[in-house]
Amino acid sequence: MSWSSQELRAFQSVLDGLGRLDYPVEVVPLGDDISTAFGPRTARRPDLVMLPQPGLVPQHKNNLESMPDDLADRGRTRLWDELLVVDGTTYGLPFKTAHKSAVWYRPSALDKVGLKPPTQWSEWLELNRSLSLSGIRPLSLGAGDGWVLTDFLENVLLGSSTSTYQSLAKATRPRPSELPQFAAALRLLGTMWSAPGTFAGGVERLLVQQFPDAIVEVFGHRRAAMVLASDFAEPVVRSFATDPDDIGMFTFPPVNPGGAAPVVVGGDVMVLPKPSTDDARDLVRRLAAPAAVDPWITTGGFLADGRVTGYSPELTRLAKQLVAPGAALEFDLSDRLGKLGAMNGLWRVLTDFLVRIGNRGSDVVPGAVEIALADLKKVES
Amino acid sequence: MGLQSNGLSLEIVGREISGRPVPGKPRRPAGPYLLGLPALLLSCLLLIPIGVTVVAAFTRPDGSFGLGNFAVMGDPAALRAVGNSLAWIAVALGLVVVGFLLALVSYRLPGLSTFLQPALVIPFAVSVLVSGVTFRLIFDATPERGTVTAAWTNLFGSSPVWLGPGLFWLVLVSAFGWTWLGYVVSLFRAGLDAIPDDVSRTVAAEGVTGWRRLLALELPMLRPITGVVTLTLVIAAVRVFDLVLIVVPGPMQRDADVLGLNWWRAADTGEPAGRTAALGVVLFAIVAAVAVIGVRGLRRRRWAMPISVVRTDPAPRSKPSKRSRRIGWTVGFAVSLFWILPAVVLVATALHSPREAGLRGWWSLDGLGLESFAAAANAGLLRALLSTVLISTVATLVLLVIAVPTAYLVAWGGLPHWLGRVVTSSFVVLAVTPVQMYAAPLRDAIGSAGLAGSRVALALVHAAAGLPFAVLLLRSAFASAPPALVAEALQGPARQSAVLATVQRTYRPALVAVAVLEFALVWNDFIVGFLISGPGTTPLSLVLWGEARQFSSSSGTVAAAAVVASVVPVVLLLSFWQTVVRGLTVGSKP
Repeated sequence: MSWSSQELRAFQSVLDGLGRLDYPVEVVPLGDDISTAFGPRTARRPDLVMLPQPGLVPQHKNNLESMPDDLADRGRTRLWDELLVVDGTTYGLPFKTAHKSAVWYRPSALDKVGLKPPTQWSEWLELNRSLSLSGIRPLSLGAGDGWVLTDFLENVLLGSSTSTYQSLAKATRPRPSELPQFAAALRLLGTMWSAPGTFAGGVERLLVQQFPDAIVEVFGHRRAAMVLASDFAEPVVRSFATDPDDIGMFTFPPVNPGGAAPVVVGGDVMVLPKPSTDDARDLVRRLAAPAAVDPWITTGGFLADGRVTGYSPELTRLAKQLVAPGAALEFDLSDRLGKLGAMNGLWRVLTDFLVRIGNRGSDVVPGAVEIALADLKKVES
Repeated sequence: MGLQSNGLSLEIVGREISGRPVPGKPRRPAGPYLLGLPALLLSCLLLIPIGVTVVAAFTRPDGSFGLGNFAVMGDPAALRAVGNSLAWIAVALGLVVVGFLLALVSYRLPGLSTFLQPALVIPFAVSVLVSGVTFRLIFDATPERGTVTAAWTNLFGSSPVWLGPGLFWLVLVSAFGWTWLGYVVSLFRAGLDAIPDDVSRTVAAEGVTGWRRLLALELPMLRPITGVVTLTLVIAAVRVFDLVLIVVPGPMQRDADVLGLNWWRAADTGEPAGRTAALGVVLFAIVAAVAVIGVRGLRRRRWAMPISVVRTDPAPRSKPSKRSRRIGWTVGFAVSLFWILPAVVLVATALHSPREAGLRGWWSLDGLGLESFAAAANAGLLRALLSTVLISTVATLVLLVIAVPTAYLVAWGGLPHWLGRVVTSSFVVLAVTPVQMYAAPLRDAIGSAGLAGSRVALALVHAAAGLPFAVLLLRSAFASAPPALVAEALQGPARQSAVLATVQRTYRPALVAVAVLEFALVWNDFIVGFLISGPGTTPLSLVLWGEARQFSSSSGTVAAAAVVASVVPVVLLLSFWQTVVRGLTVGSKP
């Protein structure tokens, strides 16, 4: 799995809650290099992988065992079936759902400029401007984790052109750099990131900041007002907040006037690398039981697929948005772009993009978009 | 001659010799060669996989033989990785020079080493991963948490982002230097102390001073030690992998790429095995060349000189003046304080609660307690501790049992001269072989033997990897025993106990050095465990690495885990340091 520290301990509590097992369970953290779990470079394939990039499932299906029949339906729920079911066979089960369109903020900072959380992209830009005019840095960003950047772009792209997002997710042609809508989304993102005084600490600081650090900047050191972070940021937000009552959350606003709010979904899916053992299948069965994840839900920062109760108020809102009919729900795009979405692809391109434009004013955006598209083209080929 | 058994009568009858006797060479006894057999078998654990990798490097994707795979050298990312790996070797060599100069300074400033010794040993005892954690904490970008950033902000108003682009090299090299400098200085210092008084007095009497003295006396005298030091540091530089992984934030990982990491990540992009094997072979070739040149001192047969290895009585040097002693004392105290600071940072961070450690620096007075240790214990630290104890102990025992007879064979087993040289050279090359050269085939072999996740298999691999250095060291020690002594011991019972006592006094430090170093090395290992072992072994370093993914927000837990992981090697090396240094230098005395 790719979890660390708090998440790892929460998962340990889930394991402890399973009761007596006839086999020892050992947890192997692999970090962002999780896909090495399938590669020839890892010592022994783990028996069960909690894959944080469900989009990798179709790619790796030859290395994966199909799920036991009695569990297969759990992988066929809305959205998940697009990725976990290939040619009628279920290769994975959702364990943890991530709502990647949540923005955590400090209400006190917004009160200072007398504004409410934005309901439109344009309002958000306006809010950022007001905040920075009154000396408050609006945004914090954990650019040290590449996925934070791709999540941001995915939200903008999904909000501005759902059809482009879907076509990129489903087919290998056309590639992102060929689509004008993709370039437009980059420009929109550039408008927000390039506004002078947007980021706390300057761009170089962002690069060494991981997603929990970005949250600590907002809630611990109170140097910024907002941070785009998922539902799983909740425990970090609460444990580092200097004022436990000064915590707010809004969902990513619609980008086009009258459009739907984007909801980018991610998650960790359980997959069984081939050849699988009976013990591993048994563990999957136990972990798939709805009550198994209760300890983690109590800790906070955990959404279970299809469940809307038992969470904190903020997470309940997110959970409800996930099951609401008609919401623009889409899976994380970067996992589905293969090599292009990975560390040396979109992650790197967006990092360079951020370095070129961050806090520098909108004049530099068009040039930086061109460079980013050219860089992407190189990775695409 | 007759023999009766079970009613059968057997008779052996000799025959008259006919014809002339056949001339021939006296046969060398084959017995001693058997002493090398276990070492050969153990080394096969590395040699065969290395062979597989080399073959893979020269096999094109279509199965034909050729240099096609080396086209990977045109790939800019691979080139950068090779360049960075070479830069690390340069850093290692630079460190040898700096360490030598510092040893000279400490030699001339008596009194300096009183405090310096433990300050220099502790960094060497902790793992690279721990030292990476420590320096990442020190150079953290937030003024509330990072020591250097806080100091800089107070002094100059704002601070550069130390872990940012370009500057992260400073952090990496500091961590590497902090780990190794003490080792280098201690060894050179021991070498300088061992220069016979009459020699240095003669040189002084001839009026040779300054640089000329350095070139005429100290450099040649320290050549064998330079060999040992260079060898260890080059090995460390080639193994740089975990340091980059833990210190460098994601976006800069690409710039900091080293061959080991590049090779490991190539699995992600599905590069053909041949290309990555070619990368490994390139690195290996460069390193082997550097090592063979660097350790020429080791091969010299200086030990054949009948010299006294037993320490002569102390106080040969003229007593330094009170003033210079006081200067040395003060400087030593200041330097030690500075040098020990990273360890203080680590321990102090661990003593804060996870929340406080994530919010504020180690100097903060809030949230002190053992909460972080409790959190680390929850992450499976105790289990990993037991696992590591087992792996290190087995590896050390196996290594000693196999290395001692082999070293004896090479030193006194009567090997033909050329064979001795070949064996020594192959051990030198094997000692610096990067893990990547054998990791993949070895892991596959272990996996198909059904031993994946076996702690004993991992311990054996560690023993095999530690064997070359151990044999080289022990051989030097064995060889340094005066031949007359050995001859006496071999020939008769006369004064055997006295002979044995002397021999023991000569060898014991080297044996202790090998055991202590191997134990600490295996204890602190990350890369071998990471690349070769499977789940089921989970040594300490892997737990630490898992905790460190979200680095600063879990810095309390990470620091606590690092402290726990460091206690054993620190205590071990602090208690045996004098012996270890003597063991490391015993064979290389002039």
